[in-house]
Amino acid sequence: MEVVVQIVFGLIALFILVAAVMVVAVRNVIHSALWLIACFFGVGALYLLLEAEFLAVVQVLVYVGAVSVLILFAIMLTRQISGEGSRQLTARWPVVLAITVLLFATVMAPTLINQQWNVPPAPPLGTPEPLAGPAELGRGFVNEFLIQFQVVGVLLTVALIGAIVIAFEERARRRKVLTLAEELELKRLRARDAQVATPEPIEAEPVAQETRPANKG
Amino acid sequence: MYDMLAALINGTLGWGWPDWALHLLSHILVVTIVLVVAPLQMLFFTYYERRVIARMQDRIGPNRVGPEGIWQPIADGVKMFTKEDIVPQAADRIVHFLAPCVVVAPTVLMFAVVPWGPGMTPVDLPTGLLFFFAISSISAVGLMMAGWASNNKFSLLGAMRAVAQMVSYEIPAVLSLIAIVMIVGSLSLNSIIGYQSGLLISNRDLPGIPDLGLGWFVFTPVGFVAFIAFFIAALAEGERTPFDIPEADSEIVAGYMTEYSGMKFGLFYLAQYVLNFLLCAITAIIFFGGWQGPGVNWLYAQAITPANPTGNGLFNVLAGALGVFYFLLKTYFFFFVMVWLRGAFPRLRIDQLMDFGWKFLIPLTLANLFSAAVWVAFIRWGPAEGMWITVGWSPVLRWLAAFVITLAINLGVYLWLTRIYAASQAERRRAELEELSATV
Repeated sequence: MEVVVQIVFGLIALFILVAAVMVVAVRNVIHSALWLIACFFGVGALYLLLEAEFLAVVQVLVYVGAVSVLILFAIMLTRQISGEGSRQLTARWPVVLAITVLLFATVMAPTLINQQWNVPPAPPLGTPEPLAGPAELGRGFVNEFLIQFQVVGVLLTVALIGAIVIAFEERARRRKVLTLAEELELKRLRARDAQVATPEPIEAEPVAQETRPANKG
Repeated sequence: MYDMLAALINGTLGWGWPDWALHLLSHILVVTIVLVVAPLQMLFFTYYERRVIARMQDRIGPNRVGPEGIWQPIADGVKMFTKEDIVPQAADRIVHFLAPCVVVAPTVLMFAVVPWGPGMTPVDLPTGLLFFFAISSISAVGLMMAGWASNNKFSLLGAMRAVAQMVSYEIPAVLSLIAIVMIVGSLSLNSIIGYQSGLLISNRDLPGIPDLGLGWFVFTPVGFVAFIAFFIAALAEGERTPFDIPEADSEIVAGYMTEYSGMKFGLFYLAQYVLNFLLCAITAIIFFGGWQGPGVNWLYAQAITPANPTGNGLFNVLAGALGVFYFLLKTYFFFFVMVWLRGAFPRLRIDQLMDFGWKFLIPLTLANLFSAAVWVAFIRWGPAEGMWITVGWSPVLRWLAAFVITLAINLGVYLWLTRIYAASQAERRRAELEELSATV
């Protein structure tokens, strides 16, 4: 059983690494987002292997279902960033590589050198393991980690309010797109105004031009 | 499945198979059943929908192939398979090919946690409900892939609409289910069904109620509001008619499916009907007791279960058959309601859809969440949790108090929200008219 788990872990880890490399290696931005989703799936599978079922499900729900869809949305709504033709490496890539390796080594070296790798011995078969189910996590959120939970909540609310504010500003600047009903209403209003004021046919002409581009959009 | 196989092979037939072989056999059987049942349900649903909508529109519907046209879906399937598979030249071939798979796979995976009858859950996950919704959210990625890879503006528009709709209606759907999860205290679909035994009142809320399998959540104020909100959200998730904006054929051809033909189109079709089946099934499971019904629990008490290994195998079959019958009856009824709505309502506009979801359903389900907390507090909490009021009350009084208070909260919030919503819509319309008349 141990060997099977090891093999499965190796396969999943390989898959995650390949997907992560592909995210930065492919030229098409959409493809790279799709590889990122594959990578998220791999991480979810790792959680499943660790028997953290709840975390695996949440990983899929949050990262695959929400975050990646958001990324895809952002890419598709932004024009001209497909990046097909552009070069990915600049002429000074060795310098960048050296700096990156150095920084990564600074972070990793203390961990690797000082680590004792004291993996606890496997418990005898049949002992119930303390699994972090939704009930335990929820209790942790309202008791032990209440402050952190509240801070995250406030942070998310601020982000939400910020998004709404930005959207409102955008909306004021946007040209209004008329629906068919509104166009009819406009026509009716105009006809009424034309009757009340001077019955001149010139009135209707420039306004009709005004609605047409809005109609197309 | 394992218990039944163990009793049959090692007990009745006495072959003495090893444990792992039994496990393997039971898993293979379960997977086969799940993979066969999903397309069959889809085939039946296409026929069912066409016949029902034909009746509503005063037509007859398919009635040529086989008795009453029952083999029509198979003929359609053969047609799909023999059609030419066309891929647009400018399409992204790999993503275009992968998209239908990414859409279909999650819908079939969701079958893994559906409890068909007592002891008939393929995989009884402790987080079954969450699994269901996590997996269903994957198909949004598939829709995006389909829309983008087709390199067609109608496809992209359809995909954008579909995903925007799915993402925003997932929130009220999940919020309305959280109310039920709070009452049950578990995410497992089996324990949610188990809670709904009783007669009009769940016998977990009020011990001593006779068990006729009718203690459904829809009979409580919390469950009723959650049911209405969830069903509306399910219509939007399944892209059913009042919300079929993503594939509005009069506006954007067929949405994200525009550039697909042959069996790939068939796969999208399959995913859609299977998803509709699952949404109806989840509605039946969460709010209408799933397989609960008169007689099922009595039959199952005498069957072979882990708790009762000396039962009679015949009762397994009987309880299972009756449970599946009740479950499918409820599921098909909800699909009938979906078709009925399709026959009755026109399509909404996208801004109406978003307004209704964000400004009406989400506040309503949030208030319902509060009601659920009140319900739990009155039914189950004691002085240890700080509920000093209910000390010494009889269970009947507790249940009555919970019922009346949650009913008052939900009704009040509903009436208040409808007034606010109507006023805001009227205000918006007035402002738009003002804007219009300013341009004159």
